[in-house]
Amino acid sequence: MSGETAAPERLSAGDKAVRWAGLTALIIGGFFPLVWMILTSLKTEAELQKFPVQYLPGALDAANYARVFSEQPFARFFFNSMTVSLLSTLLCIAVAVPAAYALARLQVWGRSALLTAVVAFSMFPVVSLLVPLFRLFRGLDLLNSYPALILPYAALSLPVAILTLVAFFSAIPRDLEAAAMIDGTSRVGALWRVVLPLSAPGVVTAALLIFVNSWNEFLLALSFNTKLDMRTVSVGVTLYQGEFAFPWPLIAAAVVIATIPVVALIAIFQRRFVAGLTAGGVKA
Amino acid sequence: MTQKNIAVPVPRRKGRSKGDTSEGWLAFWLLMPAALLLCGVLLFPMLTTIRDSFFFNKLTEPFNGQPFVGLKNYVQMFGDPRFGTSLRNTLFFAVLTVGGSFLVGIPMALAAHNPSRVRGIARVALLLPWAMPPVMTGLIFAWLFNAQYGVFNDILVRLHIVQAPLLWLSTPGLAVVAMVVTIVWKTSSFVALIVLGGLQGIPRELTEAAEVDGATRVQSFFRIILPLLAPSLAVAFIFRSISAVQVFDIPYTFIQQAPAQGLLETLGVYIYRTSIEFLDFGYAATLSVALFAVSLAVTAIYVRFVRDGAST
Repeated sequence: MSGETAAPERLSAGDKAVRWAGLTALIIGGFFPLVWMILTSLKTEAELQKFPVQYLPGALDAANYARVFSEQPFARFFFNSMTVSLLSTLLCIAVAVPAAYALARLQVWGRSALLTAVVAFSMFPVVSLLVPLFRLFRGLDLLNSYPALILPYAALSLPVAILTLVAFFSAIPRDLEAAAMIDGTSRVGALWRVVLPLSAPGVVTAALLIFVNSWNEFLLALSFNTKLDMRTVSVGVTLYQGEFAFPWPLIAAAVVIATIPVVALIAIFQRRFVAGLTAGGVKA
Repeated sequence: MTQKNIAVPVPRRKGRSKGDTSEGWLAFWLLMPAALLLCGVLLFPMLTTIRDSFFFNKLTEPFNGQPFVGLKNYVQMFGDPRFGTSLRNTLFFAVLTVGGSFLVGIPMALAAHNPSRVRGIARVALLLPWAMPPVMTGLIFAWLFNAQYGVFNDILVRLHIVQAPLLWLSTPGLAVVAMVVTIVWKTSSFVALIVLGGLQGIPRELTEAAEVDGATRVQSFFRIILPLLAPSLAVAFIFRSISAVQVFDIPYTFIQQAPAQGLLETLGVYIYRTSIEFLDFGYAATLSVALFAVSLAVTAIYVRFVRDGAST
Protein backbone atom coordinates (compact mmCIF):
# COMPACT_ATOMS: atom_id res chain seq x y z
CA MET A 1 0.00 0.00 0.00
CA SER A 2 1.44 3.35 -0.99
CA GLY A 3 1.10 6.56 0.92
CA GLU A 4 2.41 5.60 4.33
CA THR A 5 6.05 6.04 3.37
CA ALA A 6 5.57 8.50 0.50
CA ALA A 7 8.21 11.19 0.22
CA PRO A 8 7.08 14.56 1.60
CA GLU A 9 5.94 16.90 -1.14
CA ARG A 10 6.97 20.48 -1.46
CA LEU A 11 3.81 22.52 -1.12
CA SER A 12 3.05 26.17 -1.60
CA ALA A 13 1.65 28.09 1.36
CA GLY A 14 -1.78 28.19 -0.31
CA ASP A 15 -1.87 24.43 -0.81
CA LYS A 16 -0.85 23.91 2.78
CA ALA A 17 -3.64 26.17 4.00
CA VAL A 18 -6.22 24.29 1.92
CA ARG A 19 -4.95 20.96 3.16
CA TRP A 20 -5.03 21.98 6.81
CA ALA A 21 -8.48 23.51 6.42
CA GLY A 22 -9.69 20.21 4.96
CA LEU A 23 -8.10 18.13 7.71
CA THR A 24 -9.46 20.43 10.42
CA ALA A 25 -12.97 20.24 8.97
CA LEU A 26 -12.71 16.44 8.72
CA ILE A 27 -11.54 16.03 12.32
CA ILE A 28 -14.04 18.46 13.84
CA GLY A 29 -16.89 17.10 11.71
CA GLY A 30 -16.08 13.50 12.60
CA PHE A 31 -15.60 13.98 16.31
CA PHE A 32 -17.99 16.78 17.20
CA PRO A 33 -21.26 14.82 17.65
CA LEU A 34 -19.61 12.27 19.95
CA VAL A 35 -17.72 14.97 21.87
CA TRP A 36 -21.00 16.83 22.34
CA MET A 37 -22.59 13.66 23.69
CA ILE A 38 -19.72 13.25 26.18
CA LEU A 39 -20.13 16.89 27.33
CA THR A 40 -23.89 16.42 27.62
CA SER A 41 -23.45 13.25 29.64
CA LEU A 42 -21.46 15.16 32.26
CA LYS A 43 -24.01 17.95 32.71
CA THR A 44 -26.83 18.13 35.22
CA GLU A 45 -30.44 18.66 34.11
CA ALA A 46 -30.21 22.25 35.42
CA GLU A 47 -27.07 22.99 33.40
CA LEU A 48 -28.75 21.56 30.36
CA GLN A 49 -31.74 23.87 30.49
CA LYS A 50 -29.77 27.08 30.19
CA PHE A 51 -30.07 29.23 27.11
CA PRO A 52 -27.81 30.27 25.55
CA VAL A 53 -26.32 26.80 25.81
CA GLN A 54 -23.70 26.21 28.48
CA TYR A 55 -20.90 24.48 26.56
CA LEU A 56 -18.84 22.93 29.32
CA PRO A 57 -20.21 20.98 32.28
CA GLY A 58 -19.79 22.73 35.64
CA ALA A 59 -18.25 19.87 37.56
CA LEU A 60 -17.01 16.52 36.33
CA ASP A 61 -19.72 14.37 37.79
CA ALA A 62 -20.27 10.77 36.77
CA ALA A 63 -23.74 10.62 38.31
CA ASN A 64 -25.42 10.10 34.92
CA TYR A 65 -23.17 7.13 34.22
CA ALA A 66 -24.13 5.55 37.53
CA ARG A 67 -27.82 6.09 36.73
CA VAL A 68 -27.41 4.39 33.33
CA PHE A 69 -26.58 1.17 35.17
CA SER A 70 -29.07 1.59 38.02
CA GLU A 71 -32.17 2.53 35.98
CA GLN A 72 -31.82 -0.25 33.42
CA PRO A 73 -29.80 -3.48 33.48
CA PHE A 74 -27.28 -1.84 31.16
CA ALA A 75 -24.39 -4.08 32.19
CA ARG A 76 -26.51 -7.01 31.08
CA PHE A 77 -27.30 -5.26 27.74
CA PHE A 78 -23.58 -4.74 27.26
CA PHE A 79 -22.80 -8.38 28.01
CA ASN A 80 -25.55 -9.50 25.60
CA SER A 81 -24.22 -7.29 22.79
CA MET A 82 -20.67 -8.47 23.40
CA THR A 83 -21.68 -12.14 23.36
CA VAL A 84 -23.85 -11.83 20.26
CA SER A 85 -21.32 -9.72 18.33
CA LEU A 86 -18.31 -11.91 19.16
CA LEU A 87 -20.09 -15.17 18.40
CA SER A 88 -21.61 -13.92 15.15
CA THR A 89 -18.15 -12.68 14.11
CA LEU A 90 -16.64 -16.09 14.87
CA LEU A 91 -19.40 -17.96 13.04
CA CYS A 92 -19.27 -15.67 10.02
CA ILE A 93 -15.48 -15.87 9.70
CA ALA A 94 -15.51 -19.66 10.13
CA VAL A 95 -18.00 -19.95 7.27
CA ALA A 96 -16.63 -17.16 5.06
CA VAL A 97 -12.97 -18.25 5.00
CA PRO A 98 -13.54 -21.64 3.31
CA ALA A 99 -16.12 -20.20 0.91
CA ALA A 100 -13.88 -17.30 -0.08
CA TYR A 101 -10.93 -19.64 -0.53
CA ALA A 102 -12.95 -21.87 -2.84
CA LEU A 103 -14.15 -18.88 -4.88
CA ALA A 104 -10.69 -17.33 -5.07
CA ARG A 105 -8.61 -20.43 -5.74
CA LEU A 106 -10.45 -23.56 -6.83
CA GLN A 107 -12.00 -24.34 -10.16
CA VAL A 108 -15.58 -23.81 -9.13
CA TRP A 109 -18.32 -24.43 -11.62
CA GLY A 110 -20.33 -21.23 -12.14
CA ARG A 111 -17.88 -19.10 -10.17
CA SER A 112 -19.02 -15.73 -11.50
CA ALA A 113 -22.68 -16.69 -11.05
CA LEU A 114 -21.92 -17.61 -7.43
CA LEU A 115 -20.16 -14.28 -6.85
CA THR A 116 -23.11 -12.42 -8.35
CA ALA A 117 -25.42 -14.40 -6.05
CA VAL A 118 -23.29 -13.39 -3.07
CA VAL A 119 -23.63 -9.74 -4.07
CA ALA A 120 -27.38 -10.19 -4.55
CA PHE A 121 -27.68 -11.52 -0.99
CA SER A 122 -26.34 -8.25 0.33
CA MET A 123 -29.31 -6.48 -1.30
CA PHE A 124 -32.00 -8.16 0.81
CA PRO A 125 -33.78 -5.53 2.90
CA VAL A 126 -33.54 -6.63 6.53
CA VAL A 127 -37.05 -5.36 7.23
CA SER A 128 -38.42 -7.84 4.64
CA LEU A 129 -36.86 -10.71 6.59
CA LEU A 130 -38.35 -9.56 9.88
CA VAL A 131 -41.69 -11.40 9.87
CA PRO A 132 -40.56 -14.70 8.29
CA LEU A 133 -37.51 -14.90 10.55
CA PHE A 134 -39.67 -14.04 13.54
CA ARG A 135 -42.02 -16.92 12.71
CA LEU A 136 -39.12 -19.28 11.96
CA PHE A 137 -37.45 -18.52 15.29
CA ARG A 138 -40.73 -18.70 17.17
CA GLY A 139 -41.27 -22.14 15.64
CA LEU A 140 -37.78 -23.21 16.70
CA ASP A 141 -38.32 -21.64 20.14
CA LEU A 142 -35.32 -19.38 19.60
CA LEU A 143 -36.89 -15.99 20.40
CA ASN A 144 -35.19 -14.26 23.34
CA SER A 145 -32.02 -16.25 22.82
CA TYR A 146 -28.54 -15.45 21.50
CA PRO A 147 -28.85 -17.64 18.37
CA ALA A 148 -31.90 -15.58 17.30
CA LEU A 149 -29.49 -12.71 16.68
CA ILE A 150 -26.23 -14.57 15.99
CA LEU A 151 -27.60 -16.51 13.01
CA PRO A 152 -29.05 -13.51 11.12
CA TYR A 153 -26.08 -11.28 11.97
CA ALA A 154 -23.62 -13.87 10.67
CA ALA A 155 -25.71 -14.38 7.53
CA LEU A 156 -26.22 -10.65 6.89
CA SER A 157 -22.47 -9.96 7.14
CA LEU A 158 -21.48 -13.04 5.17
CA PRO A 159 -21.64 -11.49 1.66
CA VAL A 160 -19.36 -8.59 2.52
CA ALA A 161 -17.03 -10.90 4.47
CA ILE A 162 -16.76 -13.29 1.51
CA LEU A 163 -16.17 -10.47 -0.99
CA THR A 164 -13.48 -8.89 1.22
CA LEU A 165 -11.70 -12.22 1.74
CA VAL A 166 -11.89 -13.19 -1.94
CA ALA A 167 -10.10 -9.93 -2.78
CA PHE A 168 -7.38 -10.71 -0.21
CA PHE A 169 -6.93 -14.39 -1.11
CA SER A 170 -6.69 -13.53 -4.81
CA ALA A 171 -3.83 -11.14 -4.07
CA ILE A 172 -1.64 -13.92 -2.63
CA PRO A 173 0.69 -15.55 -5.19
CA ARG A 174 -0.38 -19.08 -6.08
CA ASP A 175 3.27 -20.17 -6.14
CA LEU A 176 3.43 -19.97 -2.35
CA GLU A 177 0.67 -22.53 -1.94
CA ALA A 178 2.08 -24.67 -4.74
CA ALA A 179 5.43 -24.73 -2.96
CA ALA A 180 3.79 -25.74 0.30
CA MET A 181 1.84 -28.49 -1.43
CA ILE A 182 4.97 -29.83 -3.12
CA ASP A 183 6.49 -29.93 0.34
CA GLY A 184 3.75 -32.34 1.28
CA THR A 185 0.88 -30.41 2.81
CA SER A 186 -2.67 -30.77 1.56
CA ARG A 187 -4.74 -28.00 0.02
CA VAL A 188 -6.50 -27.37 3.30
CA GLY A 189 -3.08 -27.41 4.98
CA ALA A 190 -1.87 -24.80 2.50
CA LEU A 191 -4.91 -22.65 3.24
CA TRP A 192 -4.31 -22.94 6.98
CA ARG A 193 -0.52 -22.55 7.03
CA VAL A 194 0.19 -20.26 4.06
CA VAL A 195 -2.83 -18.34 2.78
CA LEU A 196 -4.49 -17.53 6.08
CA PRO A 197 -1.41 -16.07 7.84
CA LEU A 198 -0.59 -13.98 4.76
CA SER A 199 -4.12 -12.62 4.52
CA ALA A 200 -4.36 -11.79 8.23
CA PRO A 201 -5.08 -8.10 7.43
CA GLY A 202 -8.03 -9.21 5.32
CA VAL A 203 -9.36 -11.48 8.04
CA VAL A 204 -9.00 -8.70 10.62
CA THR A 205 -10.81 -6.27 8.32
CA ALA A 206 -13.63 -8.72 7.72
CA ALA A 207 -13.91 -9.53 11.42
CA LEU A 208 -14.13 -5.84 12.33
CA LEU A 209 -16.80 -5.28 9.68
CA ILE A 210 -18.88 -8.14 11.05
CA PHE A 211 -18.40 -7.06 14.67
CA VAL A 212 -19.38 -3.45 13.97
CA ASN A 213 -22.43 -4.52 11.92
CA SER A 214 -23.56 -6.86 14.68
CA TRP A 215 -22.94 -4.40 17.50
CA ASN A 216 -24.91 -1.70 15.68
CA GLU A 217 -27.89 -3.74 14.48
CA PHE A 218 -31.18 -2.47 15.84
CA LEU A 219 -34.25 -3.77 14.02
CA LEU A 220 -33.87 -7.52 14.63
CA ALA A 221 -32.62 -6.96 18.18
CA LEU A 222 -35.65 -4.77 18.85
CA SER A 223 -38.09 -7.35 17.49
CA PHE A 224 -36.65 -10.78 18.41
CA ASN A 225 -35.25 -10.31 21.90
CA THR A 226 -37.98 -8.48 23.76
CA LYS A 227 -37.24 -9.72 27.27
CA LEU A 228 -35.49 -7.01 29.24
CA ASP A 229 -32.52 -9.17 30.18
CA MET A 230 -32.02 -10.26 26.55
CA ARG A 231 -31.86 -6.70 25.14
CA THR A 232 -28.73 -5.43 23.37
CA VAL A 233 -27.20 -1.98 23.86
CA SER A 234 -28.52 -0.51 20.61
CA VAL A 235 -32.05 -1.16 21.86
CA GLY A 236 -31.06 -0.45 25.49
CA VAL A 237 -30.17 3.20 24.79
CA THR A 238 -33.71 3.85 23.59
CA LEU A 239 -35.24 2.55 26.83
CA TYR A 240 -34.41 5.65 28.91
CA GLN A 241 -36.86 7.88 27.12
CA GLY A 242 -40.27 8.17 28.72
CA GLU A 243 -43.54 8.83 26.95
CA PHE A 244 -42.99 12.60 26.90
CA ALA A 245 -39.65 13.12 28.60
CA PHE A 246 -36.17 12.73 27.18
CA PRO A 247 -33.63 12.62 30.02
CA TRP A 248 -30.85 13.76 27.67
CA PRO A 249 -27.85 13.60 30.05
CA LEU A 250 -28.81 10.02 30.84
CA ILE A 251 -29.37 9.07 27.19
CA ALA A 252 -26.06 10.75 26.32
CA ALA A 253 -24.22 8.71 28.95
CA ALA A 254 -25.80 5.49 27.67
CA VAL A 255 -24.87 6.35 24.07
CA VAL A 256 -21.28 7.08 25.11
CA ILE A 257 -20.93 3.75 26.90
CA ALA A 258 -22.57 1.85 24.04
CA THR A 259 -20.23 3.45 21.51
CA ILE A 260 -17.01 2.68 23.43
CA PRO A 261 -16.33 -0.78 21.88
CA VAL A 262 -16.63 0.37 18.26
CA VAL A 263 -14.65 3.55 18.89
CA ALA A 264 -11.94 1.54 20.66
CA LEU A 265 -11.71 -0.95 17.80
CA ILE A 266 -11.56 1.86 15.24
CA ALA A 267 -8.83 3.66 17.18
CA ILE A 268 -6.71 0.52 17.62
CA PHE A 269 -7.06 -0.86 14.12
CA GLN A 270 -7.55 2.36 12.10
CA ARG A 271 -4.41 1.98 10.01
CA ARG A 272 -4.88 -1.65 9.08
CA PHE A 273 -8.62 -1.20 8.73
CA VAL A 274 -8.54 1.66 6.23
CA ALA A 275 -5.95 -0.26 4.19
CA GLY A 276 -8.06 -3.42 4.36
CA LEU A 277 -11.35 -1.77 3.51
CA THR A 278 -9.95 0.18 0.62
CA ALA A 279 -8.08 -2.84 -0.75
CA GLY A 280 -11.06 -5.19 -0.39
CA GLY A 281 -13.96 -2.88 -1.07
CA VAL A 282 -13.12 -1.60 -4.49
CA LYS A 283 -12.00 -4.85 -6.06
CA ALA A 284 -15.06 -6.71 -4.81
CA MET B 1 -11.00 -37.76 1.28
CA THR B 2 -13.98 -40.05 1.31
CA GLN B 3 -16.64 -39.39 -1.27
CA LYS B 4 -20.14 -40.23 -0.23
CA ASN B 5 -22.94 -40.74 -2.65
CA ILE B 6 -25.28 -37.89 -1.98
CA ALA B 7 -28.06 -36.80 -4.29
CA VAL B 8 -26.60 -33.38 -4.80
CA PRO B 9 -25.31 -32.15 -8.15
CA VAL B 10 -21.55 -32.48 -8.14
CA PRO B 11 -19.74 -29.39 -9.33
CA ARG B 12 -18.36 -30.92 -12.51
CA ARG B 13 -15.74 -29.68 -14.89
CA LYS B 14 -14.43 -30.98 -18.14
CA GLY B 15 -12.21 -33.25 -16.06
CA ARG B 16 -8.79 -34.10 -17.31
CA SER B 17 -7.38 -35.86 -14.29
CA LYS B 18 -8.49 -37.29 -10.98
CA GLY B 19 -7.26 -34.12 -9.31
CA ASP B 20 -10.06 -32.08 -10.89
CA THR B 21 -12.85 -34.23 -9.48
CA SER B 22 -11.49 -34.10 -5.97
CA GLU B 23 -11.00 -30.35 -6.31
CA GLY B 24 -14.65 -30.04 -7.27
CA TRP B 25 -15.65 -31.96 -4.16
CA LEU B 26 -13.38 -29.88 -1.99
CA ALA B 27 -14.91 -26.69 -3.37
CA PHE B 28 -18.36 -28.12 -2.75
CA TRP B 29 -17.61 -28.83 0.92
CA LEU B 30 -15.91 -25.47 1.40
CA LEU B 31 -18.89 -23.58 -0.06
CA MET B 32 -21.52 -25.69 1.68
CA PRO B 33 -21.65 -23.96 5.10
CA ALA B 34 -21.90 -20.50 3.55
CA ALA B 35 -24.64 -21.66 1.20
CA LEU B 36 -26.58 -23.22 4.08
CA LEU B 37 -26.38 -20.08 6.19
CA LEU B 38 -27.33 -17.74 3.34
CA CYS B 39 -30.18 -19.93 2.12
CA GLY B 40 -31.54 -20.80 5.55
CA VAL B 41 -31.47 -17.34 7.10
CA LEU B 42 -31.82 -15.02 4.08
CA LEU B 43 -33.12 -16.79 0.96
CA PHE B 44 -35.78 -18.97 2.60
CA PRO B 45 -37.32 -16.07 4.61
CA MET B 46 -37.23 -13.90 1.49
CA LEU B 47 -39.12 -16.55 -0.49
CA THR B 48 -41.57 -16.82 2.41
CA THR B 49 -42.12 -13.07 2.19
CA ILE B 50 -42.88 -13.32 -1.52
CA ARG B 51 -45.34 -16.15 -0.82
CA ASP B 52 -46.96 -14.21 2.07
CA SER B 53 -47.58 -11.25 -0.22
CA PHE B 54 -50.34 -13.27 -1.94
CA PHE B 55 -52.11 -14.14 1.31
CA PHE B 56 -54.31 -12.29 3.74
CA ASN B 57 -52.68 -12.61 7.16
CA LYS B 58 -53.59 -10.09 9.81
CA LEU B 59 -53.11 -11.07 13.43
CA THR B 60 -55.72 -8.54 14.59
CA GLU B 61 -58.38 -10.27 12.46
CA PRO B 62 -57.86 -13.96 13.27
CA PHE B 63 -61.54 -14.65 12.41
CA ASN B 64 -60.72 -13.97 8.75
CA GLY B 65 -58.18 -16.80 8.61
CA GLN B 66 -55.26 -16.67 6.23
CA PRO B 67 -56.80 -17.14 2.79
CA PHE B 68 -55.02 -16.89 -0.55
CA VAL B 69 -56.02 -13.54 -2.04
CA GLY B 70 -54.01 -13.45 -5.25
CA LEU B 71 -52.99 -9.95 -6.23
CA LYS B 72 -55.39 -8.23 -3.84
CA ASN B 73 -52.60 -6.97 -1.57
CA TYR B 74 -50.85 -5.50 -4.61
CA VAL B 75 -54.04 -3.78 -5.75
CA GLN B 76 -54.42 -2.40 -2.21
CA MET B 77 -50.81 -1.19 -2.29
CA PHE B 78 -51.15 0.79 -5.48
CA GLY B 79 -54.26 2.49 -4.11
CA ASP B 80 -52.65 3.16 -0.72
CA PRO B 81 -51.73 6.86 -0.37
CA ARG B 82 -49.46 6.05 2.56
CA PHE B 83 -47.46 3.68 0.34
CA GLY B 84 -47.18 6.41 -2.30
CA THR B 85 -46.04 8.93 0.29
CA SER B 86 -43.49 6.62 1.92
CA LEU B 87 -42.10 5.56 -1.47
CA ARG B 88 -41.80 9.21 -2.53
CA ASN B 89 -40.13 10.08 0.78
CA THR B 90 -37.73 7.15 0.36
CA LEU B 91 -36.69 8.13 -3.16
CA PHE B 92 -36.49 11.80 -2.20
CA PHE B 93 -34.22 11.05 0.77
CA ALA B 94 -32.19 8.62 -1.33
CA VAL B 95 -31.45 11.24 -3.99
CA LEU B 96 -30.56 13.94 -1.44
CA THR B 97 -28.51 11.76 0.89
CA VAL B 98 -26.62 9.85 -1.81
CA GLY B 99 -25.80 13.14 -3.55
CA GLY B 100 -24.89 14.77 -0.24
CA SER B 101 -22.66 11.88 0.84
CA PHE B 102 -20.63 12.26 -2.37
CA LEU B 103 -20.34 16.04 -2.02
CA VAL B 104 -19.00 15.58 1.51
CA GLY B 105 -17.25 12.21 1.13
CA ILE B 106 -14.98 13.07 -1.81
CA PRO B 107 -13.40 16.11 -0.07
CA MET B 108 -13.09 13.98 3.09
CA ALA B 109 -11.15 11.37 1.16
CA LEU B 110 -8.91 14.02 -0.42
CA ALA B 111 -8.21 15.51 3.02
CA ALA B 112 -7.38 12.12 4.52
CA HIS B 113 -5.36 10.90 1.52
CA ASN B 114 -2.19 12.91 1.90
CA PRO B 115 0.31 11.99 4.59
CA SER B 116 0.36 14.38 7.51
CA ARG B 117 1.19 14.43 11.16
CA VAL B 118 -2.44 14.03 12.19
CA ARG B 119 -3.02 11.12 9.84
CA GLY B 120 -4.07 8.71 12.58
CA ILE B 121 -6.59 11.13 14.08
CA ALA B 122 -7.88 11.97 10.60
CA ARG B 123 -8.46 8.28 9.92
CA VAL B 124 -10.40 7.84 13.15
CA ALA B 125 -12.47 10.94 12.27
CA LEU B 126 -13.12 9.37 8.88
CA LEU B 127 -14.16 6.00 10.29
CA LEU B 128 -16.15 7.24 13.28
CA PRO B 129 -19.40 8.22 11.53
CA TRP B 130 -19.33 4.97 9.56
CA ALA B 131 -18.82 2.87 12.70
CA MET B 132 -21.29 4.73 14.91
CA PRO B 133 -24.49 2.74 15.51
CA PRO B 134 -27.21 4.30 13.32
CA VAL B 135 -29.75 4.41 16.15
CA MET B 136 -27.29 6.32 18.28
CA THR B 137 -26.49 8.63 15.38
CA GLY B 138 -30.20 9.36 15.19
CA LEU B 139 -30.39 10.06 18.93
CA ILE B 140 -27.29 12.26 18.90
CA PHE B 141 -28.51 14.39 16.00
CA ALA B 142 -32.02 14.66 17.40
CA TRP B 143 -30.29 16.16 20.44
CA LEU B 144 -28.06 18.46 18.35
CA PHE B 145 -31.19 19.67 16.53
CA ASN B 146 -33.23 20.07 19.74
CA ALA B 147 -35.22 23.31 19.52
CA GLN B 148 -34.62 24.56 23.06
CA TYR B 149 -31.29 23.13 24.11
CA GLY B 150 -29.76 22.04 20.80
CA VAL B 151 -26.26 23.25 20.01
CA PHE B 152 -27.03 23.85 16.32
CA ASN B 153 -29.67 26.45 17.21
CA ASP B 154 -27.30 27.99 19.73
CA ILE B 155 -24.57 28.40 17.12
CA LEU B 156 -27.01 29.80 14.54
CA VAL B 157 -28.36 32.33 17.04
CA ARG B 158 -24.92 33.36 18.27
CA LEU B 159 -23.75 33.91 14.69
CA HIS B 160 -26.94 35.92 14.05
CA ILE B 161 -27.86 33.65 11.16
CA VAL B 162 -31.31 33.20 12.68
CA GLN B 163 -33.17 35.50 15.08
CA ALA B 164 -34.82 32.86 17.21
CA PRO B 165 -34.22 29.13 17.69
CA LEU B 166 -35.66 27.01 14.88
CA LEU B 167 -38.13 24.22 15.60
CA TRP B 168 -36.08 21.71 13.61
CA LEU B 169 -37.99 18.54 14.37
CA SER B 170 -41.52 19.90 14.47
CA THR B 171 -41.43 22.00 11.30
CA PRO B 172 -41.92 19.64 8.34
CA GLY B 173 -39.41 21.26 5.97
CA LEU B 174 -36.77 21.64 8.67
CA ALA B 175 -37.25 18.07 9.91
CA VAL B 176 -36.40 16.87 6.40
CA VAL B 177 -33.27 19.04 6.39
CA ALA B 178 -32.27 17.69 9.82
CA MET B 179 -32.67 14.09 8.73
CA VAL B 180 -30.78 14.62 5.48
CA VAL B 181 -27.91 16.24 7.41
CA THR B 182 -27.86 13.30 9.83
CA ILE B 183 -27.84 10.62 7.14
CA VAL B 184 -25.22 12.50 5.11
CA TRP B 185 -22.99 12.74 8.20
CA LYS B 186 -23.38 9.03 8.82
CA THR B 187 -22.83 7.84 5.25
CA SER B 188 -20.20 10.20 3.82
CA SER B 189 -17.54 8.07 5.53
CA PHE B 190 -18.44 5.08 3.41
CA VAL B 191 -18.04 7.08 0.20
CA ALA B 192 -14.79 8.54 1.55
CA LEU B 193 -13.39 5.06 2.31
CA ILE B 194 -14.13 3.73 -1.16
CA VAL B 195 -12.76 6.90 -2.79
CA LEU B 196 -9.67 6.70 -0.57
CA GLY B 197 -9.10 3.18 -1.91
CA GLY B 198 -9.36 4.53 -5.44
CA LEU B 199 -6.99 7.43 -4.69
CA GLN B 200 -4.37 5.05 -3.31
CA GLY B 201 -4.37 3.19 -6.59
CA ILE B 202 -3.51 6.30 -8.62
CA PRO B 203 0.24 6.71 -9.09
CA ARG B 204 1.47 10.08 -7.89
CA GLU B 205 3.59 10.41 -11.07
CA LEU B 206 0.44 11.04 -13.10
CA THR B 207 -0.55 14.21 -11.30
CA GLU B 208 3.06 15.29 -10.99
CA ALA B 209 3.52 14.96 -14.75
CA ALA B 210 0.39 17.02 -15.30
CA GLU B 211 1.70 19.71 -13.00
CA VAL B 212 5.01 19.78 -14.85
CA ASP B 213 2.96 20.34 -17.99
CA GLY B 214 1.40 23.37 -16.32
CA ALA B 215 -1.93 22.03 -15.08
CA THR B 216 -3.29 23.56 -11.89
CA ARG B 217 -4.28 21.32 -8.99
CA VAL B 218 -7.94 21.88 -9.77
CA GLN B 219 -7.42 20.98 -13.42
CA SER B 220 -5.49 17.83 -12.60
CA PHE B 221 -8.23 16.83 -10.13
CA PHE B 222 -11.01 17.14 -12.68
CA ARG B 223 -9.09 15.93 -15.74
CA ILE B 224 -6.97 13.13 -14.27
CA ILE B 225 -8.00 12.05 -10.79
CA LEU B 226 -11.78 12.11 -11.18
CA PRO B 227 -11.86 9.99 -14.37
CA LEU B 228 -9.51 7.44 -12.77
CA LEU B 229 -11.80 7.32 -9.74
CA ALA B 230 -14.83 6.46 -11.88
CA PRO B 231 -14.89 2.71 -11.01
CA SER B 232 -14.64 3.40 -7.26
CA LEU B 233 -17.27 6.10 -7.48
CA ALA B 234 -19.62 3.74 -9.31
CA VAL B 235 -19.20 1.02 -6.66
CA ALA B 236 -19.78 3.54 -3.87
CA PHE B 237 -22.78 4.95 -5.72
CA ILE B 238 -24.53 1.62 -6.09
CA PHE B 239 -23.94 0.46 -2.52
CA ARG B 240 -24.96 3.86 -1.15
CA SER B 241 -28.12 3.82 -3.26
CA ILE B 242 -29.18 0.42 -1.99
CA SER B 243 -28.63 1.30 1.66
CA ALA B 244 -30.36 4.66 1.09
CA VAL B 245 -33.46 2.96 -0.31
CA GLN B 246 -33.60 0.61 2.68
CA VAL B 247 -32.89 3.25 5.35
CA PHE B 248 -34.69 2.48 8.60
CA ASP B 249 -32.85 3.18 11.87
CA ILE B 250 -32.32 6.94 11.57
CA PRO B 251 -35.86 7.79 10.35
CA TYR B 252 -37.21 5.48 13.07
CA THR B 253 -35.37 7.35 15.84
CA PHE B 254 -36.28 10.74 14.37
CA ILE B 255 -39.96 9.90 14.14
CA GLN B 256 -39.98 9.11 17.88
CA GLN B 257 -39.17 12.76 18.56
CA ALA B 258 -40.61 14.59 15.59
CA PRO B 259 -44.22 15.63 15.36
CA ALA B 260 -43.57 16.20 11.63
CA GLN B 261 -43.88 12.47 11.09
CA GLY B 262 -45.51 11.97 7.71
CA LEU B 263 -42.63 13.52 5.80
CA LEU B 264 -40.05 11.33 7.52
CA GLU B 265 -41.76 7.98 7.03
CA THR B 266 -39.67 5.90 4.63
CA LEU B 267 -40.80 2.66 3.05
CA GLY B 268 -38.68 0.71 5.56
CA VAL B 269 -40.42 2.41 8.48
CA TYR B 270 -43.85 1.86 6.92
CA ILE B 271 -43.12 -1.86 6.47
CA TYR B 272 -41.97 -2.08 10.09
CA ARG B 273 -45.13 -0.42 11.34
CA THR B 274 -47.38 -2.49 9.11
CA SER B 275 -45.85 -5.70 10.43
CA ILE B 276 -45.13 -4.91 14.08
CA GLU B 277 -47.71 -2.26 14.97
CA PHE B 278 -50.65 -3.19 12.73
CA LEU B 279 -49.70 -6.91 12.69
CA ASP B 280 -50.74 -7.05 9.04
CA PHE B 281 -48.21 -9.63 7.87
CA GLY B 282 -49.72 -10.21 4.43
CA TYR B 283 -49.73 -6.57 3.41
CA ALA B 284 -46.33 -5.97 5.04
CA ALA B 285 -44.97 -8.78 2.86
CA THR B 286 -46.38 -7.07 -0.23
CA LEU B 287 -44.72 -3.78 0.76
CA SER B 288 -41.50 -5.72 1.38
CA VAL B 289 -41.62 -7.16 -2.11
CA ALA B 290 -41.97 -3.60 -3.44
CA LEU B 291 -38.91 -2.50 -1.45
CA PHE B 292 -37.00 -5.55 -2.65
CA ALA B 293 -37.98 -4.72 -6.23
CA VAL B 294 -36.59 -1.20 -5.84
CA SER B 295 -33.36 -2.65 -4.41
CA LEU B 296 -33.16 -5.19 -7.21
CA ALA B 297 -33.53 -2.47 -9.81
CA VAL B 298 -30.47 -0.80 -8.32
CA THR B 299 -28.66 -4.16 -8.19
CA ALA B 300 -29.40 -4.77 -11.84
CA ILE B 301 -27.70 -1.50 -12.70
CA TYR B 302 -24.75 -2.62 -10.56
CA VAL B 303 -24.41 -6.02 -12.20
CA ARG B 304 -24.65 -4.41 -15.60
CA PHE B 305 -21.99 -1.90 -14.67
CA VAL B 306 -19.65 -4.61 -13.38
CA ARG B 307 -20.05 -6.59 -16.60
CA ASP B 308 -19.48 -3.52 -18.75
CA GLY B 309 -16.57 -2.50 -16.57
CA ALA B 310 -15.00 -5.95 -16.88
CA SER B 311 -15.29 -5.97 -20.67
CA THR B 312 -13.65 -2.62 -21.21
